[in-house]
Amino acid sequence: MTTSPATDEGTIELRLSRVLPATPEAVFDAYTDAEKQKIWFSILDETPGIVEIEVDLRVGGTQTAVWGRDRDSLFRETQTFRVIEPPTADRPGRLVTESSGSSPDGMTMTTDIVVTFEAVDGGTLMTVVQKGFPSVEVRDFFASMAWVGALDRIEAYLTR
Amino acid sequence: MVQQEVLDRLYSALADSTRRDILVRLGQGPATIGELADPHQMSLTGMKKHVQVLEDAGLVSTEKVGRARQCRLGAERLDDAMAWITFYQRLWERRLDGLDAYFTLERGTGE
Repeated sequence: MTTSPATDEGTIELRLSRVLPATPEAVFDAYTDAEKQKIWFSILDETPGIVEIEVDLRVGGTQTAVWGRDRDSLFRETQTFRVIEPPTADRPGRLVTESSGSSPDGMTMTTDIVVTFEAVDGGTLMTVVQKGFPSVEVRDFFASMAWVGALDRIEAYLTR
Repeated sequence: MVQQEVLDRLYSALADSTRRDILVRLGQGPATIGELADPHQMSLTGMKKHVQVLEDAGLVSTEKVGRARQCRLGAERLDDAMAWITFYQRLWERRLDGLDAYFTLERGTGE
């Protein structure tokens, strides 16, 4: 599945960011390392479920995560690496991928993702910018409803 | 691609601010056409048209209750839409929360 050419205008841009208490090098490593991913991906799960992670960290390689409560409700995301720039002392890290996600009911979509790892006071600012969702209106709609909980959580994080 | 047609209909239904307001209102519970029309100072006929678009997109279901038409969220389709629009949002939250917890624990154990 290819990304629609209409993605340049009138599309959704999903943007999330978080300051993590570690260096950009450590965050980049934990984010891209398969064994570490298996740990942190399910670290907050209250009940054990299925988590499968595979990473082939090279341009053209893929990173696949499969997760869910049981075999009948598995989500899957495969990211194909386009740009891999580990952080250095004088440059933030950057990962550019094409992501294909699928939900248990068989729906799929493909989007473009840029993740950056930038040194800031207190650790690393990890920012995710995802493009290719089809409509601004849908983003606004979900921003007003579904994402309210997420914003609350981010605010709770910032003010704790 | 049938799935694409479904999504096109979904997006055009959501492209209107009045219809999004209707969904937000119905998110709080069922309402009649009259109750939906009231805050928008809209005629019943105008509101019926909006509800029809939402119903065609599978976002809203309606049934006749007495003389009024009761509207409620068509949860199934909305769940479908959420399944892949919020899919990533949940995934990224899971990742950021997980990384945060991972490093916080690591730091807590003195590494």
